Amino acid sequence: MIRFDHVSKTYKGSVPALQDVTVDIQRGEFVFIVGPSGSGKTTFLRLITKEEPSDGGEIWVAGKEVGALPPWKVPYLRRNIGCVFQDYRLLPERTVYENVAFALEVIGRSRHFVKSQVPQILELVGLGKKMDRRPNELSGGEQQRVAVARAFVNRPLILLADEPTGNLDPATTAGIMRLLERINQYGTTVVMATHQHDVVDAMRKRVIELDHGTVVRDQARGIYGMVDA
Amino acid sequence: MAIPSPYVLRETGSNLVRNIVMTVAAVVTMAVSLTALGGVLIMRQAVNQATVQYQHGVEMIIFMEATASSQEISGMHQELASMVPGQIQRCYYVDKAHAWTEFKQIFSGEPDMVKVMDLQKMPPSFRCVPAKAQNVSVLANQFQKQPGVLDVKYPGQAIREELARFATLRNVALVVAGGVMLGAIALVVNTIQLAIFARRREVAVMKLVGATNWFIRVPFMLEGLTEGLVGAIIAFAVTFFARNTLASFTGSNPFVPSLPLYVSPHAALLTGIFVVVVGALVGALGSGFAVRRFLSV
Repeated sequence: MIRFDHVSKTYKGSVPALQDVTVDIQRGEFVFIVGPSGSGKTTFLRLITKEEPSDGGEIWVAGKEVGALPPWKVPYLRRNIGCVFQDYRLLPERTVYENVAFALEVIGRSRHFVKSQVPQILELVGLGKKMDRRPNELSGGEQQRVAVARAFVNRPLILLADEPTGNLDPATTAGIMRLLERINQYGTTVVMATHQHDVVDAMRKRVIELDHGTVVRDQARGIYGMVDA
Repeated sequence: MAIPSPYVLRETGSNLVRNIVMTVAAVVTMAVSLTALGGVLIMRQAVNQATVQYQHGVEMIIFMEATASSQEISGMHQELASMVPGQIQRCYYVDKAHAWTEFKQIFSGEPDMVKVMDLQKMPPSFRCVPAKAQNVSVLANQFQKQPGVLDVKYPGQAIREELARFATLRNVALVVAGGVMLGAIALVVNTIQLAIFARRREVAVMKLVGATNWFIRVPFMLEGLTEGLVGAIIAFAVTFFARNTLASFTGSNPFVPSLPLYVSPHAALLTGIFVVVVGALVGALGSGFAVRRFLSV
């Protein structure tokens, strides 16, 4: 589903963000990308959505080589990928329903499709009764659920989550992780960057550890800090 | 890709309203500039219409009797030909049919005058460019007495004044139109820039979820186009309804000073359509520039 083949990326006037990274993520996997700040986790995710071009190597996403995609095809690539961030990135003047519907409207989905899908997905994330609220009327955990709903409403093949629980308390974090796991069970490949030990340790999923832009560990059913005995 | 129009129209409308002060500023400047442009075109039409007989350097017209015989006309032909190039640079013949067409054009604002005339009453004429403009009165006197000649006109001074007045007005108005147009474009660009800034969160989400570049850009482009169009429609209304007032700025009909210059509704309509097209183009180009410059997709 996602394959990095000797991928490197250096930002102008900076140290390399990724160096010779080779990783293969299969369809339906749940993968944690871990490592300290500045280790290249976010860059790894941004290369998948082609928010940044790589400097070397090949990146394959959903059967397409990302580097070879012309700019006009990039939006169609992104329709296969849902994204969730630490800061939610919701539109403050729109309701919960409108925030999720927006993601479908702007890719040209019919009104009928939007009306049928949005309530369904909001039920799934447990916000069926708060569709008319605005983001500032919700707790952090609820806002992140809206963001997850928006990322998942188009049923993407891949869900990328960049520190999605970074701002949340442990109980709320557990709720969001259950939600991501459920999405993963529907067949969506989930790639989550985090530096929260407890989250990774609790889930026992594949862990790819980055340090100074290189892969230092790739372990099935791993934990955050050390090799699983 | 088909773009659902309700979404695009809703977004365009909300952009226009969100920044209403800038929108009004852009529309008003656009209207002023296009009115100046439309005014120039209207004045040019009025002047061209009034001086249609005296274009291409013609200084003297020998009007033959409407009843002049073919020998008289061919005699005049030969005599004029013999004076080229010493005294006359060139001459051409205007027959009754052509004269009648011109008459209807000059007096299109005075339908009563057109009614009492007809093709048969039209005098054929010779339009002449003298070798030396200062000799025109001598030449005119010479031809005045020829058989079959009705009259010889050389209203050179009046025409030249009329054309000079128009040229000055035209230049002033074109400078104003050009200057204000630059301001209008800058305002359109600035309005779109503000709209893009106001919607930066939406734009970020749109990119994230895979909206196409055109889908993101079109509401902003339409916003600029609308500003250009609304400004142009105001300019259209002004130039169309005030066309005769605009025409009178260049003076009166040089042949019949009691008659004002006149522009037909048809001509004004064509000018108006041209102005609307220019407005739409300028609006679209301004917003296109802003979108390319400030909206990275």
